[in-house]
Amino acid sequence: MGICHCKCREERGGPGDCPGSTGEVSGGQDVVVRTMVSSPVQRPNWRRGEGKKLNSPQVIEKLILDSLKAIRSLVENDQEPPEELFKLHNIADQDDGWIQIVNSMVQVVPVEEPLGPAVITLLLDDCPLPNKETVLRLARHFDLSRKNRVLRGKDPRRQRNVCIVLGVLAEKLSGPSSVAILTRGTLDFLIGNLEEDIDPIVTLFSLIALEKFAQTSENKITIKQELAKAGDPLLRLEPRITSEDLIEAQVGFCAQWCLDNLFLIEGRKYSYEQVDIEGINAMLNTRDVSEYLKISPDGLEARCDAYSFESVRCTFPVVEGSWFYEATLLSPGVMQIGWATKHSKFLNHEGYGIGDDEHSLAYDGCRELLWHNAKSTPVPDSQWSDGDTVGCLLQIATPSVPITKVTFYLNGRVVASTQINFKTTSNEFYAGASFMSFQQCRFNFGSRSFLHPPKNTEFSCFNDHASLAEIDRVVYPRHLLLEALRNMSIKEDSCTICFDQKANVTLEPCGHNGFCKTCTLQLTECPMCRATIFRFTTEST
Amino acid sequence: MSGYSAEVKVAETIAYKMVSLPRRIIKETQRLLQEPVPGISAVPDDSNARYFHVIVTGPDDSPFEGGLFRLELFLPEDYPMSAPKVRFVTKIYHPNIDRLGRICLDILKDKWSPALQIRTVLLSIQALLSAPNPDDPLANDVAELWKVDEAEAIRNAKEWTRRYAMDN
Repeated sequence: MGICHCKCREERGGPGDCPGSTGEVSGGQDVVVRTMVSSPVQRPNWRRGEGKKLNSPQVIEKLILDSLKAIRSLVENDQEPPEELFKLHNIADQDDGWIQIVNSMVQVVPVEEPLGPAVITLLLDDCPLPNKETVLRLARHFDLSRKNRVLRGKDPRRQRNVCIVLGVLAEKLSGPSSVAILTRGTLDFLIGNLEEDIDPIVTLFSLIALEKFAQTSENKITIKQELAKAGDPLLRLEPRITSEDLIEAQVGFCAQWCLDNLFLIEGRKYSYEQVDIEGINAMLNTRDVSEYLKISPDGLEARCDAYSFESVRCTFPVVEGSWFYEATLLSPGVMQIGWATKHSKFLNHEGYGIGDDEHSLAYDGCRELLWHNAKSTPVPDSQWSDGDTVGCLLQIATPSVPITKVTFYLNGRVVASTQINFKTTSNEFYAGASFMSFQQCRFNFGSRSFLHPPKNTEFSCFNDHASLAEIDRVVYPRHLLLEALRNMSIKEDSCTICFDQKANVTLEPCGHNGFCKTCTLQLTECPMCRATIFRFTTEST
Repeated sequence: MSGYSAEVKVAETIAYKMVSLPRRIIKETQRLLQEPVPGISAVPDDSNARYFHVIVTGPDDSPFEGGLFRLELFLPEDYPMSAPKVRFVTKIYHPNIDRLGRICLDILKDKWSPALQIRTVLLSIQALLSAPNPDDPLANDVAELWKVDEAEAIRNAKEWTRRYAMDN
């Protein structure tokens, strides 16, 4: 699962238990820290005076590096969240403390650490939001302009981390505060980072920050204008999508996504209109994906830039035989790649994905774990890095071999092999994967030759056996769908609960009506007056 | 733009592609955009139709007057059979709202009814700002002060409103 501990929250005392309290709206990751707030662990009492000493940059930097380490080991749901995160959270309660933490994070989180970006977002995501004044103070402290650009060959750590921080703040503070942070200097810095001579990791996170700023429409207009003034750098970045260099390829992917979804350019064709999907018969299913996952126009690549745990299944179900697919990693962080039935649910906001229920099984080579039913087992010696190829083999039980077996490969080497007995009535299996923030991989369902096909084993690939209806082969930009959606009309005599079926039911004894039978069957009391429903009558048409 | 020709085709396939979004949500979204509630703005996220960016203005004659409070609202999978999940993003000093923005409000939990809507939920939250209830607290320290020294609590609430919910 994603870094998330929502399940233990229910068992703990604290503010979350107050009747009527709600929360956990945003990404799954922030639940970790939120759990700590309601945890019975004794909270250190930070007084302003003594806080000064304890909040020295050295102390904070150490806390950050320690939480980075601790989060790696955070795998089981009943584990206490690391104390370090908890302490940081308390320090961040004061505006000065918050600024210090952000500053320290920017300094110390290493570029090489696969979980680094996730930890920055996790920490910021759950700290109470600072006011606009504090954020502006931080922006002044960063003192951004074109001068801070990091050319290739220089250490990009600080600038990359600054971009991650800007992205989180832009999203969390969307609205007037997000407009306020996008100062002249910030804009010059981010757009300047899209140039050729900049370290690509900084370009990547600048693009993501711009995407987050554009969630506020005023910013979106400003950014579009600035991009045009800068000579549409996104058009120059887009071709990098085919680069051998994995960071460059991510830059290309994000540039293309921005061009299709956010910063449209007059005269440019959408990627889905131009992509060559000849010979592709199995794709990532755009109707079976959580909201924020980005899917490439050819339906074979997926990327998550949200702060939630995003999942997708393949279009093609398999019921019998032996099946294989590959996923090539463009980033080295937390992903759960494996197999699932349709019963497996994608609860991106709670941090649940493939491997997090009893209907799925997945391998995560960042934390070296095998996931099933939200429980993990260690997979020794299975650490992946970007560029690696994960192979997933499913051998479905037959009358003569009554065992369903899954084998995971890393660059052709078997890292884990396990039997599965999915508790399900469904006998259809799908390839599936879940992604933590800033993770990306490219799938091969057999439309190209496999890099490391299993040896001495017979298998089939989806692409040879699947076919896709014309409509399923098109990956539309989501904004086109949402726009059309808003123009959809709804009949006036619809059920007032679902607006889907005709309202033809009257509840007894209260006499309220305006509901359909499907909805009524799910009710025990009247939605209008809360009277118990003893029976209902259906108006015949 | 060449994209326009495609949009016609898109419209035709919409019902098919958007099968996962219930009409109830579509209907509510349309109405929120067409007939906004005074003092409340709720805008669906560009890429997630179940997630709304909300701004509620502090009610007149309350300590929150003049403030603009940001909230996030998410419609879970079984909405409207279960309540939306709502949280204050802007810090607020209120006995029924904790430091992480979680709200103690009966209609968001056991008193939810599918006849309630996004707009009625947001109106209830705005009403909660006008009428804090320290006897059913979520933020214990705030509620305590509200009970023993209401004047001081109101001063704090005004101060927080000025610090966190006003733009200038």
